[in-house]
Amino acid sequence: MSTEKRIFWFEELEEKHNDIVGKKCANLGQMVHLGMPVPPGFAISIEMYRRFLDLSGASKEMRIYAEDLGDLKGVGIGTFDEVSRRLQDIIEEKDVPAEVRDPILRYYEELCERLGMPDAAVSVRSAGTESRPGMFETYLNVIGATDLLDKIKKVWASAYTPRAVAFRVNKGFPLIGDELGVAVPKMVNSRSSGVSFTVDPVTGDDTRIILEANWGLGEGVVSGSGSVDGFVVEKETLAIVNRHIGQKTRCVVNREKGAEWVDVPEKMQRIPCLADEEVLEIVKTGITVEKRLGCPQDMEWAVDGDLPFPKNLFWLQTRPAKVQVKKPVSTTDQIIDLLAKRYQ
Amino acid sequence: MGENIGGRTALWDALPGYDLIEEVDLPEMHSWFLDATHSVPPWTPLFGWYWIRFCCHGMKVVCDELSIPTCKGWEMRYRDGGSYNAFHIVRDKKEIAERAVKFRQALRPWIDNFDGLWESGKRELLGMYDKLKAVDMENASHVELYRHNYDLMNTYRRMFEIHFLGMYSSYSAWLLLEDLCKERFGMKDQDPEFQDMLRGFNNKVYEMDKSLWDFSQLAVDMGLKDVFVQNKPDDLRAKLEMSEKGREWFRKFMHYLETDEVGGWRMRRMNDLTEPYWLEDPCTPLGVIRNHVQKETADVFGNVHAELSKNREAAVARFLQRVPPPERPFFEGLINLAGKASSYSEEHDLYCELISHALLRRGYLGMGRRLAKSGTIDQPDDIFMLNPDEIDRVLMVPDRHDLRFITRRRRAEWLEWHNRPNPPVITDRSGMEEAVAMDLLPSMDAVAMKIVVGELPEHKPELGADMFGICGCAGEIEGPARVVINYEDLKDVQPGDILVCPGTNPAWTPVYGMVAAVVADRGGTLSHAAIIGREYGVPTIVNTFEGTAKIKTGQRLRIHAAEGAIFILDK
Repeated sequence: MSTEKRIFWFEELEEKHNDIVGKKCANLGQMVHLGMPVPPGFAISIEMYRRFLDLSGASKEMRIYAEDLGDLKGVGIGTFDEVSRRLQDIIEEKDVPAEVRDPILRYYEELCERLGMPDAAVSVRSAGTESRPGMFETYLNVIGATDLLDKIKKVWASAYTPRAVAFRVNKGFPLIGDELGVAVPKMVNSRSSGVSFTVDPVTGDDTRIILEANWGLGEGVVSGSGSVDGFVVEKETLAIVNRHIGQKTRCVVNREKGAEWVDVPEKMQRIPCLADEEVLEIVKTGITVEKRLGCPQDMEWAVDGDLPFPKNLFWLQTRPAKVQVKKPVSTTDQIIDLLAKRYQ
Repeated sequence: MGENIGGRTALWDALPGYDLIEEVDLPEMHSWFLDATHSVPPWTPLFGWYWIRFCCHGMKVVCDELSIPTCKGWEMRYRDGGSYNAFHIVRDKKEIAERAVKFRQALRPWIDNFDGLWESGKRELLGMYDKLKAVDMENASHVELYRHNYDLMNTYRRMFEIHFLGMYSSYSAWLLLEDLCKERFGMKDQDPEFQDMLRGFNNKVYEMDKSLWDFSQLAVDMGLKDVFVQNKPDDLRAKLEMSEKGREWFRKFMHYLETDEVGGWRMRRMNDLTEPYWLEDPCTPLGVIRNHVQKETADVFGNVHAELSKNREAAVARFLQRVPPPERPFFEGLINLAGKASSYSEEHDLYCELISHALLRRGYLGMGRRLAKSGTIDQPDDIFMLNPDEIDRVLMVPDRHDLRFITRRRRAEWLEWHNRPNPPVITDRSGMEEAVAMDLLPSMDAVAMKIVVGELPEHKPELGADMFGICGCAGEIEGPARVVINYEDLKDVQPGDILVCPGTNPAWTPVYGMVAAVVADRGGTLSHAAIIGREYGVPTIVNTFEGTAKIKTGQRLRIHAAEGAIFILDK
């Protein structure tokens, strides 16, 4: 058995480990170093994914299957579904070999010890080497060794969801591809959670931060269904210049086995799911991180219901924000803008 | 001004309207900061009148023209030969925002075409200077001299208006770059990696220093080495005249001083009129050339400079690697403009102050000779003890006036000021720190912060140093201290000395070729001492406030410039 390190605590990681553990894991490590509180946890390397596929025999089976398929370019959606089901089945049906299983479970045990709780709830999140938001799977509220291994396998298999398969085929990439790392952070007991943009993704206005939040887990915001709370904060003055309290009828919460959508009790539907001090705490961190990283950020965070402010804020992700509209600005204009701003 | 402020009515003396009167000036501005960079040693009244009136005017004009959002210019007052400055800070947010709108428009041409605008400023000034030079001081009529007095004032006024346009636009860029680097990359403008990006630029001062070095090589090539080595600068001219080769060399040299557009119009001391300019007395440049011949200086002007400029390119490339790719063109543009601060800071001195002051000296000495001949004053240079209004009053009929009662008294006072240093600040606040925090920093004034007052040093007790300043150019070195207050004592500096001085100006530049380090009482990271330190790679600490007071010539010093720390090894 190789002595090569294949699992890392988040704090051992930095941006440069992107190719070893995938972008999300490296990002979590970078966030730790930026001083952002992230939920404790570990990262399973891409090499571990390869070991799993090789040792379990999945890799060989997949290769043979793919060679028989030939060129898929131009086939219908139905074929992608079928290919996806077959490849995911190959992966999910395999047992996890001891060489892969044992170290994962050792890290899980140690995480439970660190947290002082047996069978701690974690989430199991995919981490590709390139950012493909929403393409691969994430599992929430995973509890215990059996569930953990099962969900890790499912994350690995999610490299072959119909969407991922279609994406690669249409882009002319090999069908067998997209190797995944896995992030296993402690599940935050989210009272509320959401996203923040340090630039308006629609107008490109970078003087404001935009927050969207809902009760429960972040999936209740990013899935984009229903009305959520929105806040707009001016970076310079930290004034909340716009607030929209949406009617939050549904949200995602932790359940004994996994996370699920539930109805929000009526009395909580029209009240803000974030206190102003929490909004400002999120905004301040957002400004600092944006400055440190040098470009606008798209960030995810959660507010833990068990902890007092300000310890209750956890950051789950930060990545460069994709801005729809960006007005072309000349170097002269940028210098003038910033020089004028210096004096404000 | 209210009536009878402070229970008494003060009388203006040397600089009517500009003498610092505490009862009047303190309640109005609260803190007056000594410009130790320019006004130590103390100024004569004539020079003080010129500087305080027109430098102050230039500040206000440019703050208005560029609509600097937080500052409407400076106020200046004269006290015992020192210039005290205060800042017209704009504190109302709404007014700042309104000024910012115009600021953005006014700045644009400078960002797009700094070199072009500075070039046209230079041409305008050189044209005005030519008219002044055309006056024959000995044969001019009284009325021509009278008009010359006004032409000098007008030229000097215009000079300072042009002077600050280039300065505010490039220094603002420096401050912005500094802010962004500190905020985003944890890099201060005192850090070597920052400074490396902004040095090694060509400019006219450097070109002239290089020309003097070329003349030293020419002297060696023409077999004149011994003449230079064996004679003092004062005797060189006469000795050169004694041989054919010597005469040829000297003719070539004078031709350069006369024909270069700024060449010989360069004052020995930048900020007063009491010492000669190069054309008037070529001893100064001859001394520099002699120094090169004697010490066989080889690489200061070639290799060091080429290396700095190569380092700059590498440092900028390294820095840009840290910048997110979409922002690289922006940072490149900003670094380019901030770099103008380095080159402009030196070059403008030649085209603005040094020539103007040489022409003021030439003009007023001409008038002084006329006044001395009529017995109005004792000797020609007593005219430096008068102000232009007093000169105006007597110049048409000098023989009917006697101003010796003024010039004798003022000369005695002026000499006395040399023994009594001006305090660094005159304030009704609790002290320097409060004065800086309340009456300087809110101006966000680039020139005040980077040159005249500068940042306060950070004291780092863990280092156990005797004194702290601001890093002008990084480096660690040991050597004997050489405290120099006046230009004429610069000749005592030995190779390897650590020069301890109030501040430096372009006239002092040649000494950077031989000293191990420089410690200056005042100045910010864009002061002359700091910039030249960087251009010559000489470790430099500025703004120690008390270097010349605490350090004695001969004491061994160790300086750790990056930390701003000075250690006196034998106390």
